[in-house]
Amino acid sequence: MTDGMNRRGFLKVLGATGGGAVALSGCSSDAAEKLIPYLVPPENQIPGVATYYATTCRECSAGCGLHVKVREGRAIKLEGNPDSPINAGKLCALGQAGLQGLYNPDRVKAPMRKGADGEFVEISWEDAVGEIVTHLGNESGDRIAFLTGNESGSFDTLVKEWLAAHGSSNHVVYEALGYEALRAANRQLFGVDAIPSYDLASAKFIISFGADFLETWLSPVENTRGFTEAHSYSGGTMGRYVHIDPRMGQSAIQADEWIAPKPGSEGAVALAMANVILRVGAGNIPPDVFRVRTLIESMTPDVAAELSGVSAEVIERLAGEFTESRSVALGGGMGAQHEAADSTAIAVMLLNYVAGNVGETVRFKADAPAATGSYADLRALRDSMSRGDIGVLFVHGADPVYQSGFGSAEMDNVGFKVSFSSYLDETASACDLILPDNHPLEQWNDFRPASGGYLLQQPVMRPVFDTRQTGDVLLTLASATGNNSGGLGVTNYKEYLRDQWRSIQRGLQDRSQFEVFWNSSLQHGGVTPDSADTRMRLARSASQAVVSTWSPSGEGLTLIVYPSPTLGDGRGANKPWLQELPDPITKITWGNWLEMSPATAEELGVVSGDLVDVTTLAGATVMSDSLPVFVYPGIRDGVVALPMGQGHRGYGRYADNDTVNPTHLLSPQATTFGGRSHYNTVTVGFGGGHHERLAQTMGRNRQMGRGISQFTTLAALIGHGEEEHHGQHAAPIPEHIEEIVEEWQEAQWDDFRDKGNYAGEHPRWGLSVDLAKCTGCNACVTACYAENNIPTVGKDQVQRGREMSWIRIERYFEGGENGEPHEISLLPMMCQQCMNAPCEPVCPVFAAYRTPDGLNAQIYNRCVGTRYCANNCPYKVRYFNYYDHQQPGDPFFSFPEPLHWQLNPDVTVRSKGVMEKCTFCVQRIRGAQHDASTDGRELVDGDIQTACQQTCPADAIVFGDLNDPNSRVSQLAADERAYHVLGGLNTKPAVTYLKQVRNRAEA
Amino acid sequence: MATASNFTFGGVLVAVVLLSGMFVPSGTAAAQDSQASMGTFQAPVDVDTLGLPGPRQPIFYRHDIHAGQYEISCKYCHFAAEVSQEPGMPTVSTCMGCHTIIGTGNPEVEKLRTAARDQTPPEWVRVHTLPSFVRFPHMRHVNADVQCQDCHGPVEEMPQVYQFASLKMGWCLDCHIQREVTTDCTACHY
Repeated sequence: MTDGMNRRGFLKVLGATGGGAVALSGCSSDAAEKLIPYLVPPENQIPGVATYYATTCRECSAGCGLHVKVREGRAIKLEGNPDSPINAGKLCALGQAGLQGLYNPDRVKAPMRKGADGEFVEISWEDAVGEIVTHLGNESGDRIAFLTGNESGSFDTLVKEWLAAHGSSNHVVYEALGYEALRAANRQLFGVDAIPSYDLASAKFIISFGADFLETWLSPVENTRGFTEAHSYSGGTMGRYVHIDPRMGQSAIQADEWIAPKPGSEGAVALAMANVILRVGAGNIPPDVFRVRTLIESMTPDVAAELSGVSAEVIERLAGEFTESRSVALGGGMGAQHEAADSTAIAVMLLNYVAGNVGETVRFKADAPAATGSYADLRALRDSMSRGDIGVLFVHGADPVYQSGFGSAEMDNVGFKVSFSSYLDETASACDLILPDNHPLEQWNDFRPASGGYLLQQPVMRPVFDTRQTGDVLLTLASATGNNSGGLGVTNYKEYLRDQWRSIQRGLQDRSQFEVFWNSSLQHGGVTPDSADTRMRLARSASQAVVSTWSPSGEGLTLIVYPSPTLGDGRGANKPWLQELPDPITKITWGNWLEMSPATAEELGVVSGDLVDVTTLAGATVMSDSLPVFVYPGIRDGVVALPMGQGHRGYGRYADNDTVNPTHLLSPQATTFGGRSHYNTVTVGFGGGHHERLAQTMGRNRQMGRGISQFTTLAALIGHGEEEHHGQHAAPIPEHIEEIVEEWQEAQWDDFRDKGNYAGEHPRWGLSVDLAKCTGCNACVTACYAENNIPTVGKDQVQRGREMSWIRIERYFEGGENGEPHEISLLPMMCQQCMNAPCEPVCPVFAAYRTPDGLNAQIYNRCVGTRYCANNCPYKVRYFNYYDHQQPGDPFFSFPEPLHWQLNPDVTVRSKGVMEKCTFCVQRIRGAQHDASTDGRELVDGDIQTACQQTCPADAIVFGDLNDPNSRVSQLAADERAYHVLGGLNTKPAVTYLKQVRNRAEA
Repeated sequence: MATASNFTFGGVLVAVVLLSGMFVPSGTAAAQDSQASMGTFQAPVDVDTLGLPGPRQPIFYRHDIHAGQYEISCKYCHFAAEVSQEPGMPTVSTCMGCHTIIGTGNPEVEKLRTAARDQTPPEWVRVHTLPSFVRFPHMRHVNADVQCQDCHGPVEEMPQVYQFASLKMGWCLDCHIQREVTTDCTACHY
């Protein structure tokens, strides 16, 4: 229903013609539709049937495998590659949103040159290459510099080789999440600059010292999978997880015990635990511990208690738990990277070492790529830029102006600057030439993840714009400057890549023909051979290790700048899916905020939503009118926290909003271990006195006794203790009432079970959600946006409570008052597909009705927008289109060209005035039924996966037929932990939740 | 081509025999007999194009000649109808499979050959359109032995294709009720 016909007009035409196709042709575009055939049938493509291509996700450095769903030559959905040992078919929210990078409306569409007036004008690729050749001719040696992000594959090799051919070795690698502290610790202790692999799955006790391993740390999807394996409840057992961090982040929500030490002192706790282990002599203490014995012995629990505020008894108990069962300690998170973070990482690694975990749950893979680059390298580049030592600078995959505050003092002193950015981000805007690279989904490339193996990327579609792969540009340049001897002599980057893979094949001692090896690697997304571990022994340098703590200077508050679980280090900021994705903790969208505890807020005289300014001791400041306070019980008094990722000036229409850039509040100096400190001492002022309504998707922070998200304890489950009550459980329904309701329900159902469509055998589709597995990571939310063409509505509409997310993660604070520990309960909430749905009887036009297979369907073309259904829904899972989000020109148009290329052709795009909601991905159900019918077979349990289930890294969601007693979902529905949300309303939901289980410390 | 006329004539015969052997349902007498390979239906030579129903197409493509007279199976060109919700539009190279040889000199065929040479596919005007909120999976219907003609009408006799059925929901439901198959809304609307 588009183009100049309003709703009333539509109904008039409908009345006049009796409804149907004639009237509806008036609703579609006036221009006659054209059918334009292909000239030649494309390979592997049948119109209307999706093709899947294997490639690699490049949204962070984890290297998850992808299966890209392509319809009619366009990528429309990203799913995990089940063959990948990293993500095994799962994907996080950032990965799901990769498509909005591919189709981003703010991508640089063609090469551009900055004119004399400072404005960029499009030029041809030939002119662009010619210009670089001229400038390269004037420069030589290390005056040619190349800054890249973490590219640990053939592109990295190419850059180095290309630079060498031009006489330079000035390749600087910088990744904002570079884990410099963790690497520095491994250099000091073991003499290797490497990031280990952590085997969480087999651990029974996990302790994290500020490592946000379920959100951004190293490889979040892999970590989540392992964590689920270790920590989810099954058959009377589960692992235990303790998190030590001044702030309870998304990972810490899952912790059975959250301990908030003084900021900067986690290392002392870890080392004191090692001290206890040495003293008790528990576990397999390796003999070479003598190198660090003095260090460990100096940190007794009492000393640590003094430094950290964590009592000596707790440290003793944790040390006992750590050696009692297979354990792992995690440290070196970016949100805990203060000036003594290398100490934390050293202490945590030593804790693992003395407990004999290195080589067991902490493994250094022999084929892992060497880690490169650090903030210190970037600082060195900055210095040489401002000295005028750089003649030509190439920037690829880094944004130092945004990330590290490079200014005109640096940028203007470089003769010629070339950016390969896909966006007019802060750095690209300061460059002379922009040569947009292809999006990773349009590229040939490869990647080596820290966990080992070789991953391939292949283009899944033709480039959207006139962009070129940087590898190809470099090869063209090499041939134009005559520096194309050796490996650079190939015609294009794909050939270069294939040459690299020939040597990879040789290295793997694979004797098959290269084409066989190549095709099989393409098909599987790469090769991941089983590789041996490198046996780690303490190096001589370990004896010089010291463990210190960080503490704030003076009276100020401690500022923690942590990586955002939704925007990462900021490169996701121009994707509307990620901007509208509520933060797992605060549930705030489209902006950032300053977290502080209720006591700190009271001291400052501010409440949630007050706009404050933050000033560092060095005088750096972010001003008011943009940074709201969020009062959060899960943060230590005297600490304030600010997520990374916002505050862009440039980059694109979604990123360039009035938020603050938190990196301005960090010291620009590199730390002793070469990283950047994410802690600082600040003062917070409320000078402006302004307040804003937070763009939050939670109405209430607490459950108010409604029993929405329920938990139990391990002890209660195995009969060792009582159920705990936070007052979060709803009052139980008396049994006689339950019986009466049951009878009435049965009678009602009998009334129509043999009529029309309802006659005969039908499945009843149902879902189960295991709250003991859900980590609140939001991957399901973004997957749902991608699958179901859900529009993003923007900050203003979210502030009015009009977000459209069909599935949302509800987050409730528990305790945190009267001496009770602060805890968080989560619950993914989607349409419950009630058997006895309150939405159905109130719909005057039967747009909301129950299908024979048990779905509460919503027929968009029948809906007239009374909104009665939403008003009557106790779960708030119906979403109304207040605007024409799909209509260009609408004030809340959410699919600017070419974002709409992503839309799923199997799902109707809803228009203004229509109510929409989750129907368990009915298009997937019907699609699977079509496929089974075409193949002449029966559907079996597991054939249908909803989009949320498909992507869930924790495997918390299971879909299936509740009428089939053997299906996974019906067995889970009968689990002892199963309950229905607001079951007392007699809605008979098809969604069963399994209570979260907390594994309390034994008293 | 020096011997254009003879060669072309031969080509027509070969191609027609091939096509009829391959795509006409076996067992019909017409298919066995090369003389009768023109089928029982004879497409009119001259048609009053102005009086034809249906939209004018960029090329006056005659379904009555291809599907009627020569009895080329619908699914030869609409290749995906059995496996996909979309029937599939023939690619230009499918047309050129025959028309590299057949029909030279025919001004309409020349338009096709020009299109193939210039790599500019013809922009056919869509005849059957369903609103965007309706799913019509072709394969379910084709595999349930619904004939193409049941919805599209006697296309094999149409010099120019027009919309035969109303394609209104009531019309769909009539058939669904008659055949006792699903009448659930979410069979088509989602």
